Amino acid sequence: MTRHLLKLIWNRKRSNLLLMSEIFFSFLVLLFVVGLGLYYVDNYRQPLGYSYADVWRITIDPNLGGPNPSSAEAVETGRQLLMAAKDLPQVETAAIAFTAPFGNGSWSTDYEADGRHFEYELNRVTDDFAKVMGLEVVRGRWFDRQDDAAAVEPVVVNERLSRIAFGALDPIGRLLPQDKERDGKERPPKQVIGVIRDFRQHGEFDAPGSFLFSRTNLATTTDGPRLLLVKVRPGTTAAFQETLTRRFEGVAKDWSFKVQSLTEMRDTNHRERLAPVLAVSLVAGFLLLMVALGLTGVLWQNVTQRTREIGLRRAKGATARNIYGQIVGEILMMTTLSLVLAVVLVLQLPFLGLLSHVAPRVLVASLFVSIAALYGLAAICGMHPARLATRVQPAEALHYE
Amino acid sequence: MLLSYLKLAMKVFLRRRVFTAISLFGITFTLLVLVVATSVLDHATAPVAPETRQERTLCVYSARMTGDDNTWQSEAGYGFFDRYMRGLPGVERMSIFSEATPVASYRNGGRIDSVLKRADGEYWKILDFSFLEGGPFTVDDVANARFVAVINETTRNRFFGGEPAVGKVIEADGQRFQVVGVVPDVPLLRTIPFADIWVPITTAKSDGYKREVMGGFLGIFLVGSPADFPALREELQARLKAVELPDPKMWKQIEAHPYTAIERVAAIFLESGPGRALTGRGEHQLAVFCMLVAGLVLLFMLLPTLNLVNLNVSRILERASEIGVRKAFGASSYMLVGQFVVENVVLTLAGGLVALFLSPMVLQALTATQLVPYAHFTLNHRVFAYGLGFAVVFGVLSGVYPAWRMSRLHPVEALNGGAR
Repeated sequence: MTRHLLKLIWNRKRSNLLLMSEIFFSFLVLLFVVGLGLYYVDNYRQPLGYSYADVWRITIDPNLGGPNPSSAEAVETGRQLLMAAKDLPQVETAAIAFTAPFGNGSWSTDYEADGRHFEYELNRVTDDFAKVMGLEVVRGRWFDRQDDAAAVEPVVVNERLSRIAFGALDPIGRLLPQDKERDGKERPPKQVIGVIRDFRQHGEFDAPGSFLFSRTNLATTTDGPRLLLVKVRPGTTAAFQETLTRRFEGVAKDWSFKVQSLTEMRDTNHRERLAPVLAVSLVAGFLLLMVALGLTGVLWQNVTQRTREIGLRRAKGATARNIYGQIVGEILMMTTLSLVLAVVLVLQLPFLGLLSHVAPRVLVASLFVSIAALYGLAAICGMHPARLATRVQPAEALHYE
Repeated sequence: MLLSYLKLAMKVFLRRRVFTAISLFGITFTLLVLVVATSVLDHATAPVAPETRQERTLCVYSARMTGDDNTWQSEAGYGFFDRYMRGLPGVERMSIFSEATPVASYRNGGRIDSVLKRADGEYWKILDFSFLEGGPFTVDDVANARFVAVINETTRNRFFGGEPAVGKVIEADGQRFQVVGVVPDVPLLRTIPFADIWVPITTAKSDGYKREVMGGFLGIFLVGSPADFPALREELQARLKAVELPDPKMWKQIEAHPYTAIERVAAIFLESGPGRALTGRGEHQLAVFCMLVAGLVLLFMLLPTLNLVNLNVSRILERASEIGVRKAFGASSYMLVGQFVVENVVLTLAGGLVALFLSPMVLQALTATQLVPYAHFTLNHRVFAYGLGFAVVFGVLSGVYPAWRMSRLHPVEALNGGAR
């Protein structure tokens, strides 16, 4: 049966080749959209690692002049701002951080050390950050006063980074492998004192990655504040934002402050992430609908042109079922041939390292879903023409001109 | 002859209406996507008010300082323009203004988010805003650091519920400004004119910005004609060498390029997208960008083209007897190819017209989503012309192969009812 179908396809190879290339490209479009969708779903289902509710971010803007952000004056103002925030009754606690969730800013590093590739995002925060964000410490401890006297820089990493750096070993107290600086100097070592569940700074739709926190010691730091995170009591309204801003403007007269709730920023983040995906899916959906209609049309034409062939088969004893099977079988066979080529090509991508952010399970699931969907599509396109073919009357067909 | 081709084409289209409808659906959809994409691009770059002098304007959007280990890319600083870029050759006017900064205003217990720009007086002379009320702040206002503001229509609605605003006071970024003018909204995609509130540059909370080489400011240069661009670009590059960098141990050199609006789009696309490595000067980037866009358009058209080719090929035999007769009476293959391509172009043009008819609805829906603040996507004659151009390209692209196949039918076989 298979050989027979292949032969039939081979006999009309020129027009079938065109048809198969259409199926081939449709599959690529389908796979892209399904892959993108499943990638986002998969990311969304992983734990975020923190809680954004009732957390406000205050961006400090020293851009238009003002003191140099790394001057002693700026550092002192930062300390006062933090105290001013904690003094307010509506504020549970507050922390200074270098970057914050759902923002566009990020700080990352990537290097080779000990024969492994390290790539992680960083943040430098004060001790209260864990309370502000509700981080879950799974091993060791978070930063506190006893780190003031630490000889080696203490860091807290997420589980993923711990696994990459130390495998199954207990990471607490170990030094994180560092690369050398460009001029060959050793970088200062970092000692892991705790492991948190996760910290997915760019939100639910971003691919989970490695993360490292280092500590800002307010007494000795030389960096001025870039942003503050404030955990307010539940039920605090946006009206309090004005109070907070006024309070800050009283402390630092020539700085600008912008208050945003993380919930708001998360909504924006989601909108910006999903809008392009929706647009692409919509266009791809219409492309596939167009292909489906086109394919049906082509098969329909083919059936009318092959009336004599089908009539002859009926006359020689083929049942309506046989004919139906032949027409649908042909299109499914062509789909299979296009799919084999497409899947072989797509499987080259991970080997070229182009999909390193995509988990293998997402890739495999996307392949299966897309293959099933394409077979479904092809079968649906073949059904109506195949039904028409079964209605061919042998006597009529054989003198069809 | 063309007329008889058209008559024939009509007859063929009406003979099998289902197939014509299927073809038209694909064509319309394809062209609709292209027309909508074109209008979005047009919306961001066309020389319309307030950027009526766009073709004579160059802008330095960003600068990059590099050292041995470090790179710092951001807007250039006020000092960069003020101290080093005044009096460039051919420049009629020059303006320095801050990047658009989000600010919050608190009013009656609620919060109003706006985008603020601090600008100089020349800004209003290079850009061609039409004022709904009042007028711009002047060079004099800026020199005397008066707390005055120009606001857009949306801001007027938010603060004053649409009542006349000139003379009233608004609070933004913890400062109070008296409104002197109201302008229509400008789309966010237009980096140079976009803002909600404009105030004099000198009202900044401290004057530390005046000495900075990097950070926070854009500069625009208006020249007499685009022919002056090369001299300006050359002199700007020469002056970069004289710029005093903040920490000579850390930073070795500074780069900056003045861009036209479309070069800017090209630069954003190339530096954040597929061609991140292809940085360089505007003119060069523009050429690469145009090729990439053409490539993307063709890639998008690939599947619809294949679809239409398949449909057309499957319909060849319908025409067999006609082709046989024409060949028997001496028509050459070229004539037949010409005829079938014309037929296909007629079909794609029809689809194109439907797409142009539908696109205002899609654009309106897109505007309604407010994904791009203040965007008001509309169909205009430029986009219309592009749309028809796309339709012809698409028609030729998808018509040539089936036409060639059709023209090669053997006359005897064709008259006989056709073969494979």
